[in-house]
Amino acid sequence: MATLQIDNIIKRFGTVTVIPELSLTVKDREFCVLVGPSGCGKSTLLRIIAGLEAINAGRLLVDGRDVSALAPPERGIAMVFQSYALYPHMDVNRNMGFGLEISRTPRNEIVSRVARAAESLHLGKFLRRRPRELSGGQRQRVAIGRAITRKPTLFLLDEPLSNLDAALRVNMRVEIARLKEELNSTMIYVTHDQVEAMTLADRIVVMNEGRIEQVGAPLELYEQPGNRFVAGFLGSPAMNFLSGTVAQVADGAARVDLTAGTSVMIPLAGRVETGQFVELGIRPEHIKLNEDDDGVPVSGRAAIVEMLGSDTFVHVRLGDETIVVRDSHGRRIGKGLDVDLRLPVEACYLFDQTGLRVSRLNGLAEAA
Amino acid sequence: MSETAQLPRRSHSVARLTNFAFVLPAVVLFVVFIAYPILWVAQNSLLSAGSEGGTRYAGLTHYIDILSNPTFWTVVRNMFLWGVITIPVQMVIGGVLAYCIERHTRAWRGFFRTAFFLPVVTSVSVVSLVWVQIYAPYYGIAQEYLKHIGITLTYSPIGDPKTAIYALIIVNIWQWTGFSMLMYIAGIANMPPEVLDAARVDGARGWRLAVHVIIPMLAPSTKSLLMLGVIGTLQTFPIVHLMTGGGPNCASEVFGTFIFKQSFILGDTGSGAALSVLVLMIALVLSVLQIVFLGTQQSSAKGRSA
Amino acid sequence: MTRISRSSAKSLALHATLFVVLGFWMLPLVYMVSVGLRSPSQAFDPVLFAWPVTFANFITVIRDNPLTGIFLNSLIITVATVITVVSVSALFAFACSVLRLRGSLVIYATLLTTLMVPLASLVLPLAILLKTFGWVNTYWGLIFPYSALGVPFAIVILKAFMDDSPKELFDAARVDGCSSWQTFWHVALPLVRPALVFVAIWQFIVTWNEFFLALIVLTRAEMKTLTIVPMQYSGLYMANPGALFAILTLIALPLIFLYVLVQRAFVRGLLAGAVKG
Repeated sequence: MATLQIDNIIKRFGTVTVIPELSLTVKDREFCVLVGPSGCGKSTLLRIIAGLEAINAGRLLVDGRDVSALAPPERGIAMVFQSYALYPHMDVNRNMGFGLEISRTPRNEIVSRVARAAESLHLGKFLRRRPRELSGGQRQRVAIGRAITRKPTLFLLDEPLSNLDAALRVNMRVEIARLKEELNSTMIYVTHDQVEAMTLADRIVVMNEGRIEQVGAPLELYEQPGNRFVAGFLGSPAMNFLSGTVAQVADGAARVDLTAGTSVMIPLAGRVETGQFVELGIRPEHIKLNEDDDGVPVSGRAAIVEMLGSDTFVHVRLGDETIVVRDSHGRRIGKGLDVDLRLPVEACYLFDQTGLRVSRLNGLAEAA
Repeated sequence: MSETAQLPRRSHSVARLTNFAFVLPAVVLFVVFIAYPILWVAQNSLLSAGSEGGTRYAGLTHYIDILSNPTFWTVVRNMFLWGVITIPVQMVIGGVLAYCIERHTRAWRGFFRTAFFLPVVTSVSVVSLVWVQIYAPYYGIAQEYLKHIGITLTYSPIGDPKTAIYALIIVNIWQWTGFSMLMYIAGIANMPPEVLDAARVDGARGWRLAVHVIIPMLAPSTKSLLMLGVIGTLQTFPIVHLMTGGGPNCASEVFGTFIFKQSFILGDTGSGAALSVLVLMIALVLSVLQIVFLGTQQSSAKGRSA
Repeated sequence: MTRISRSSAKSLALHATLFVVLGFWMLPLVYMVSVGLRSPSQAFDPVLFAWPVTFANFITVIRDNPLTGIFLNSLIITVATVITVVSVSALFAFACSVLRLRGSLVIYATLLTTLMVPLASLVLPLAILLKTFGWVNTYWGLIFPYSALGVPFAIVILKAFMDDSPKELFDAARVDGCSSWQTFWHVALPLVRPALVFVAIWQFIVTWNEFFLALIVLTRAEMKTLTIVPMQYSGLYMANPGALFAILTLIALPLIFLYVLVQRAFVRGLLAGAVKG
């Protein structure tokens, strides 16, 4: 149980600034996911929180106490590493109890804590085994178990599932969700996988180039992305972007002429000027393939059709641009056929040339 | 670097002191027993014993004396022969043995690996004395058995100024080939099997496989052996000291025995020091040459994977 | 069928060749033992084997010579050197590779240059230095110079191993609250165990067999090591090669036995990349 407050921290490696002035507050018992493309500084930020990296400026506060100068164990943290970082020469039992051993916890206390963690993670049978005698999933659970035994106030996880194969990853995701309910501690979880971010997080922090792009609940970020980066990062397949120019601004709405050849009226929240370059964003699942539906009509040619059974992804060429349409109705669309699409205006976002969203909250979000 | 960030640690001063302790022993050993002696020889090579037990500056006299001493040039020739014969011969024999043992034996692999390495762990003084006996005239087995294949040795090969150095080189090769073998075994064992499979798919077999795939892939082993061979050559002492004492008539003198004689038998500290400096400089030049021609791999050791 | 029999015939031929080569290779050692097992009347026969064998030489030389004391001198100097080299170089490699102490890489580069320094060029100044210290004819007089000369090579190997160890393990140790010393002891050392074993065995072989410095530093008979005593016996037993070779065999045996015992661990360390190539 702890509140983490990151206060204007700056991190440089030599002359390269990795994190230029960043602040963030993680609430008590919150499951906070740091997400972003690789190299965005999310892992560095986690290592800073852990005390593995020094900071060049700023402060870190846990429950109001400045921990910037404290060593990792004094911060009350535990960490699960991407490669698990299990000590290869120690058995599971000692791996899980090693931190307690170092902090001179009484023997019987170590035994009982390790036993409890092992039971909760179904590791009881493997306590005498060395890491190399375990499967990937089991190693992952030992790594988590090692963190649990420390009873951390801050639980840090660095891409914990990225070394697992797809099937196991789904299992472990469920496991971590269960743990989150059980443990009641503040968790900070780094991933580049947006599915993990969406399913696990209470709050998502989207990072890019060392900066925080947006912070919010998963659906909030999904439905109300503040900028083009967040809009494009969350969602799979990613949001489609169509370029266009503002033809007219009137009555809090802009008429946008798309390069693809149609005009759309979008309600505005920000400022745009006539003649300005803009991008229209729309998620694949919101585009309709049925001519009878409402929305702005556009037509193109189906270039690639990916049929997944439950869904069909159609990549439609519109002039020089391609947009992806997700259809869940089991329609069969032939490759190379002309298709007519409808873009529902209430599902459209508008971004200015700096990437900032200028459209009003879209209709879908308002309805929710 | 204006990096002021400090890694969080318990207590800075205590941590710094502890860390100091990790580095200190190595530094002390280096300074006292390597750096200081090097500086000492550099200084003393320029000094001579003066009147009343003092020393006086002698300039380059010792160097000139050494360089004009014909024995020095015999030593240089011997060291050159030593390196140029020993290193490649050991590589070839060691490499062939390693290849046969590693790629074509299973049950006996450990046995062969160990057996061929035994001369390396046999005390060099034992080796030298045994070989003196082998080479000996009248009762040595070398001339007795070589007679059967048509080679007659009228006297001991180490007693003839023309053959002494070669006879010593043979002993050295015999003793150290097992080491080359083991280094190549390590190289072969660490070769990724996929590459060999790929070569086989490409149709490389037998000789072509060896020349175009295996030998180039053993380059790290070869480079290390070259470096160790050069050091080993410059270190040469016991075999020569024990078998010929540098003789006959200085014909088999090497740096080790020459330094030993100048410094400890003649007691001429100045020229002993000058000679030591010359050896150091040769070592330096040779290592620079190796780095220039073979890349920056500074040492025999390298990580398992990048 | 033909293919299998052909390949097994090839393998048989190869094994036979290897055995023949090995037979020739082992001649000097076989000869050493063989002469040691002869009676004085046969000792000068220029043959590889002579019958009958007798252990008389071995009994005589063991009875007449303080071999145990000499053996202990070698053992003390070697073991102390091995311990010093392994601990000093492991500490330094850790400082360089894991702690990344400022300046440690510069020192590392300096130490590397000494890999190429031949002992021959240091013998004279070391002899004078040890005289100044009053360390002539002492164990220290060899242990410290040997350690200094062995440390650079050991550091290179141990550092390469530590550089290759997963960095996250050392991070995990910090999260677990280990001090530098605890990380070194509980994490780094066990991780590079094969390299430590390799370095220890190699240093043992090198130190046990070192001749030049021992010859100069150890002048008192009771301090001498196994490597430098054969010389004096070659004079003593000039007329009795049987006894000389018996003593040479006894001097060579300890290290050969030791190597046979540890060769598996030694080769394992080597294959694990202690000396890549």
